[in-house]
Amino acid sequence: MSSGTRISAGTWSALPVIIFLLVGFAAPLAAIIGFSFMPPRTFGFGGRPTFENYVTIFDSTTYISLVWSLGLAAATVIILVVICYPVAYGLVRVFGKWSTLITLLFVIPLFVSENVRLYGWLLFFIKNGVLLGSLKSLFGLDLESILFTKGIVLFGMVYVYIPFMLFPMTLGISMVPNETREAALDLGATRWQVFKEVELPLSLPGLMIGSLLTFVLAVGAIAEAKVLGGQQVIPIAHDIEIAFTYSQNWPLGAALSVLLMLIVGVLVLLALRRFDLDRFLGRR
Amino acid sequence: MQTRAVRIRHALIVVWTIAMVIFVYLPSLSITLASLTSSRYFIFPITKWGLDWWHKTLDSIQIHQILETSVIIAAVVTVISIILAFFGALAFARYDWKGRSWFQKVILLPIFFPQSVLGLALLLWFNAIGLQLSWQTAVFAHLVWIVPVVTLVISIQVYSFDPALEEAAFDLGASRLQVMREVTIPVLMPGIFSGGLFAFLLSWGNFPLSLFTTGADTTVPEYLYAKMVAGYTPGVPVLGTISTVGAVVILIGGYLVMLALNRRRRADAG
Amino acid sequence: MVGRDVILYLKGLTKTFAGHKAVDAIDLEIHEGELFTIVGPSGSGKTTLLRMLAGMEEPTSGDIILRGERINAIPANKRPTCMVFQSLALFPHKEVGANIEFPLKIRGVAPAARKQRALELMGLLRLPESYYGRSVTQISGGERQRVALARALAFDPEILFFDEPLSALDYKLRKTLEKELKDIHRETRKTFVYITHSLEEAMVMSDRIGVMRDGKLVQIGSPQEIYSTPNSKFVSEFIGDVNVMPVTVADNGTLTSPQIPGEFAAPSIADGLRDGFLVVRPEYLRFLSEPGDADNHVPGRLYNEYALGSRIQYHVRVGEMTFVLEKLRHEAFQGKLDQEVLIGWNAADSIVVPDQ
Repeated sequence: MSSGTRISAGTWSALPVIIFLLVGFAAPLAAIIGFSFMPPRTFGFGGRPTFENYVTIFDSTTYISLVWSLGLAAATVIILVVICYPVAYGLVRVFGKWSTLITLLFVIPLFVSENVRLYGWLLFFIKNGVLLGSLKSLFGLDLESILFTKGIVLFGMVYVYIPFMLFPMTLGISMVPNETREAALDLGATRWQVFKEVELPLSLPGLMIGSLLTFVLAVGAIAEAKVLGGQQVIPIAHDIEIAFTYSQNWPLGAALSVLLMLIVGVLVLLALRRFDLDRFLGRR
Repeated sequence: MQTRAVRIRHALIVVWTIAMVIFVYLPSLSITLASLTSSRYFIFPITKWGLDWWHKTLDSIQIHQILETSVIIAAVVTVISIILAFFGALAFARYDWKGRSWFQKVILLPIFFPQSVLGLALLLWFNAIGLQLSWQTAVFAHLVWIVPVVTLVISIQVYSFDPALEEAAFDLGASRLQVMREVTIPVLMPGIFSGGLFAFLLSWGNFPLSLFTTGADTTVPEYLYAKMVAGYTPGVPVLGTISTVGAVVILIGGYLVMLALNRRRRADAG
Repeated sequence: MVGRDVILYLKGLTKTFAGHKAVDAIDLEIHEGELFTIVGPSGSGKTTLLRMLAGMEEPTSGDIILRGERINAIPANKRPTCMVFQSLALFPHKEVGANIEFPLKIRGVAPAARKQRALELMGLLRLPESYYGRSVTQISGGERQRVALARALAFDPEILFFDEPLSALDYKLRKTLEKELKDIHRETRKTFVYITHSLEEAMVMSDRIGVMRDGKLVQIGSPQEIYSTPNSKFVSEFIGDVNVMPVTVADNGTLTSPQIPGEFAAPSIADGLRDGFLVVRPEYLRFLSEPGDADNHVPGRLYNEYALGSRIQYHVRVGEMTFVLEKLRHEAFQGKLDQEVLIGWNAADSIVVPDQ
């Protein structure tokens, strides 16, 4: 089926998705950008455009939320890289036929609402819960719960985003041909040199995609702080939600969303610009 | 050739992975335990085991309503996303066309986007065009995020699809429709099936998009969240367990169905 | 005029991709019932040419005329031609029988008749009947090859196109299937158009061969003609190991070379050719005991020898140049490495060709 001079098969196939994303993704984003320039506490597009909402953000303490969100997201990414790498490596090189099952085990939680899983941690860590209750009855230890601290929020984020780091990383590592490693070993490289000179650079695309994905999702995270963190940390997404719900200030919420979108958008576009998806997904 | 160092390293990797799997399932375990107590409050170790709260939850009409809403949303999302994503995947991985590399990146943007913000943006948008919020708007919201994911899932299958298969069928006299029906769809079926499974389960478990877009209707994750925030009730662990077990059953059931279909195809041939 | 036995006639056929002429103004007549092979290195445009003939690529300009009818705009599924793909393109979700029956099913033939035809074709291609219900993923490479051919024959095309279908197979199987394909050609009396990058493969099977380079057909002829009278350095080198030496034709009709001192007796040379290449096939080059044993002689040093099954190949270094000689095993040259040798050839066994 030739790539004719008329509208090609590719364009036809892409069209439904493109139209859908225009209506379902581009338009809402445009709406939120437009709304961010409306006068505070209005609920329509009728008002005179103003920068007031953006000024409010930088005058208030809202930027603290943003800094917290960015910092927690960065910490989440670093921790995930370290704890996921051995598993990803194992999935590609060690587990053999067990890999499918183990992959499945890590996929299943994706399909359970993160609220529910975080609630599980709440029941685990809460006073008289699974952990502290067991310690008390077995060893007579009566410890304080670590719930409602900043640390537990980070813990929750790391937990929730494991699959988003693990799977791209696994794809990345599986892109490194075994022969290349063996050749490097054969040429006299030490284990560490093989890792540094061959495995890491070749699996970098997977590591990058995983880090990007977890960072972006973690910046917008909200449930961890709400379910586990008490009010110890207010992430940016929480501020946005409050603006839209309790304070009924949609334009301010919109302005905050635009700020978050800008950060995320710039990061994603920069990272994806030179990325060859065909090679990554199709192993061509 | 396994040296001692390699064996030790592999053993460490195995131990670490087992620890990670336990880590991943600890909360589900805690929830399941909490659902099996008869008392009003969760105190561990459990002194009064029982299924009382299971009975109460399963008998509740409200819960039935909520489960039904969740299933309907997930089912509709599955059907629509398969259709859109099937063609999207062909554009993503099969055809060479001018806008392809641009398309590949644009379609990732909704995945790489904080869902809570996306949910709010959609709320604003629905409000701006005067749409009444209901389970239908939630379907739309889920699709924005799920169609790209399913497109990626099917694309991976499309990459391993030899375009010459379509050309050969076409060359042997088939019309474009016949090529689609006889070759493209059957060969891509495993990818389409996994894509559908993903669509259903991701919609089933979604909270941030539902929160802002369901209006008066309520999905399971939303209901759970409302109850969690309101204070402890043992109904939450029960429904949480149902939600988790449901996902596992659908996933495993789905793969069994796929295996059975494959076997029948083989049997028909023989 | 289009002759009566011409089935496919190409006139100025051209395909341009982003300004690059992949196929450049090809004129060609393919005759009813012949096995015509287009051979060329990768990137020569042969696949593009074939895809245009099969209807999967639209020509930029020129005509494709099938039995007097211009078919440029007719899509592949409406053309009475059929292609065997490089990857074979067997449908992995269908069994052997269903693959072969596919074109019949598309045409609406009843299941019983389809099955009967499929079994006939399987018989012709020596596929056991028990394979009818077997998955195409469970059979060997050679068997897959036969299924692909059976499927194409089930279509009952006027012309069968082959896009290097044997290239992925190992040497021995390839050799067997080349002959089998020629036998099938004989049995079916259909027109086959075959493309390959291996002139050796083309030699075995073809009635005629067209050599392609940079989108153009540089020589068309019988295997014998291509082998013994290549019209350029490119064609002569394409065939495999060959001795090629740049030469200048002197006024007295002899040859001189910048690489080796001396004058050489020349074969008959096309008028006006001054600078060209002397081509001598390895089997025409001989070890001489006396300088007078051949028209031309060159002293050299035996560098190495290689056993090629029934033949033995020798490399002889003369200055910077290496000459290649081949002898049948029972005529092997008894020499030691680094031994001084005298090699030579008769003028009639050589040719002089231009570069292009």
